[in-house]
Amino acid sequence: MNILKFFPYIAKQAWRHRVRSGLTLAGIAIAMFLFTAVQAMRTGVEAATTATANDTTLVVYRKDRFCPVTSQLPQDYQRRIEQIPGVVWAVPMKVVVSNCRTSLDVVTYRGVPKDEFIREKSDRFEIIDGSLEDWKRRTDAALVGETLANRRNLRAGMTFDAAGITTYVAGVIRSKDPQDHNVAYTALEFVQLAGRDQLGIVTQFNVKVEDASLLDPVAEAIDDEFARAQDPTQTFGEKAFVARIADDIVELVGFANWLGIGALIAVLALVGNAIVLSVQSRIAEHAVLQTLGFNRQLVALLIIAEGVLLSLLGGALGAAAAVFVAHYGSFALSVEGQSIPIAASWQLLAVGIAVCVALGALAGLVPAWQAGRREIAACFRAV
Amino acid sequence: MTLIHCEQLTREFKKGNAIIRPLDELDLDVPSGEFMALMGPSGSGKTTLLNLIAGIDTPTRGKLVIDGVNIAELSRNKLAAWRSHHVGYVFQLYNLVPVLTAFENVELPLLLHKLPRPERRRRVHEALEAVGIAERSDHFPRQLSGGQEQRVAIARAIVTDPTILVADEPTGDLDKPSAKAVMELLTRLNQDTAKTIVMVTHDPSTTDYASRTLHLDKGRLARQDALKRDAEHHEVLT
Repeated sequence: MNILKFFPYIAKQAWRHRVRSGLTLAGIAIAMFLFTAVQAMRTGVEAATTATANDTTLVVYRKDRFCPVTSQLPQDYQRRIEQIPGVVWAVPMKVVVSNCRTSLDVVTYRGVPKDEFIREKSDRFEIIDGSLEDWKRRTDAALVGETLANRRNLRAGMTFDAAGITTYVAGVIRSKDPQDHNVAYTALEFVQLAGRDQLGIVTQFNVKVEDASLLDPVAEAIDDEFARAQDPTQTFGEKAFVARIADDIVELVGFANWLGIGALIAVLALVGNAIVLSVQSRIAEHAVLQTLGFNRQLVALLIIAEGVLLSLLGGALGAAAAVFVAHYGSFALSVEGQSIPIAASWQLLAVGIAVCVALGALAGLVPAWQAGRREIAACFRAV
Repeated sequence: MTLIHCEQLTREFKKGNAIIRPLDELDLDVPSGEFMALMGPSGSGKTTLLNLIAGIDTPTRGKLVIDGVNIAELSRNKLAAWRSHHVGYVFQLYNLVPVLTAFENVELPLLLHKLPRPERRRRVHEALEAVGIAERSDHFPRQLSGGQEQRVAIARAIVTDPTILVADEPTGDLDKPSAKAVMELLTRLNQDTAKTIVMVTHDPSTTDYASRTLHLDKGRLARQDALKRDAEHHEVLT
C-alpha cells in the first residue's frame, strides 16, 4: 500500500494540537541542535587526532615542554635532522598564539622559512584568495587558514592584529589538514623578531619521512640524536602530537558525547509524549478508521508516521541550525597552538535527520502497537 | 435472497467472574435490499448484533454468514479488508475526523482501494451529491450542523458502494427536521440502490421508514413487525 496517499491525513493529525506540536518541535530542534553540535566537535577531534596510513609527518618538540612559549629549540637542529636516514625534509616553525588557554578564537602564527615551506607544503593546500607571490614579496605577509579568515572576515589585502603582531593578509588557504585551518603562516624571522631574543630559536620542527612505516624509527633516531644536547627533543606523529596537546579538549568532547546521548533520549521522550497524548485522545477515531477497513498494521503505521514526521521536522530544523552555525561561525577549539575545528558537514546533517527518523519511529512503536491491538467495539463502548 | 444469515449467534463478555451475554443464540435472516430496524431496551443486544454484522466484533459462538462469507471465521486483517468492501457504518455521533474536510472524510475509506486519484475524486463527489452536501465539501466538521455532519457520515459510508449499510442510532443526536431528512435519505438509498440497511434505533418513529423492525430483549428476538413504508408514515416525524 502506498503510504504517501495518507500523508495529508498524517500531516493534519500531527498539526492537530498546534501548541503541543509546536512545543514538541521546538524541544526536538533544541535537542538535535545540541546533538549535532556535539557530533561536529567529535568529528573535528577525530579528524585532528586520528592517524591515517597517509600520515608521514612528525613533530619535533622540546622534551618535557607542552606549550609553544616554553618549547624552544635551536633552529640549526634542522640540518642534523635532515641528515637522519628516512627524513625527506624538516621545516623549522616558530609558533606564537594570541591566547594560551583553550578558546574558540585563538590565532596561531606559524613562522616558517618561506622557500622551504612553498617547496615542501604548497601541494597540501590551495590558495582561494590572494597569491603566493604576494606572500613571498612582503616580510609581514601571512597565508591565513580558511577557518580563521572566515571567523575574522579576512580577505587578501587586509591587515589584522593578534598577539601584538600586525600582519598583512597575502592569501587565504584551503587545506584538508585541520592544523592549517586556523593558522597564519608568516616568515620565520618575522615571528622570531616579534619575541625578544628569539632569532635562531624555533618552537618545533615538522619533519616529513619517506614512508608511514618509518614514523616510529625516525622519531626515535631524532630523539637519540639530541638526547645529550642542552635542549633535548621529544618527537611524535603529527596526530598523536595534537592528541597529546589537546588532551583536555578530547576529554571534554568525550564527556560531551554523553550530552549528545542525553539529547537523543530527550528527543525520544518528547516525541513519545506527544504521540501517547495524541493517541489517547483519539481512541474512538482509530476505532472509526478500523471500522472503515483500516487494518491494525495500517493504523499503527499512521501513528508511527506521525512520530516520524514530528521528529523529522524538529530534528532537521535543529540539525540544520547546528550545521549552519558551525559552518558559518568557523569555530575551532584551540589549545597551545593546536587547533581542533568544529567540523560541520552535510553528512552530519544527514546523520542527524536519519537519527531523528529512527527515534520518531521508535517513539511511536509502543502507542502504535497499543492502538492497533484494541478491540474496535470496546473502543466505542469506552467512549 | 438472504444476505445476512445468523445461526445460534452468541456473544459473551467476561466482567470479573461473571459472564455477560448480550446476544444469546439468535437466529435471523435478512434478505438483500431490506431496511431493517433493531429496537429494544438498553442492554438488549441490538448494538452488539449491529457490530457483529458490521464485522467490528466477533461472535463467541454461532454462525454469521454475510453474502456467502462466514465472517466469524475471518482473521482480523481479512475482516478489515472485508469491511472496507462490504460495510458502510453510520454512527450516532457521526465520528468524522475533525481535522479533515467533508471531502477528505468521505475520501478516507477510498484510500484503501486501488483507485486512481481522479476516480477517487469522482466517487467522492458522487457520494456528496447523493446526500446533498456537495456544496459543503471543503468545510470542516466543526463548520457543519449536526444534520450536515450526519450527511457527510452517510456519504462516507456509501462511497465504497458497500453491500450493507449499518446505522447505530443515526438520528439519536439530531433535532426532528434533521432526523427526518436523514431518515428520508436512508430510505431513498434503500429504495434507489437496493442497499441493505440495518439500523439500531431508540426512536419508534424512525422505525416507520424500515421494512421490518426487530425487537430484542436480553439478547433474544422478542418480536418482529413488518411495516409498510408509505407517505403517511413519513409524516410521523413532522
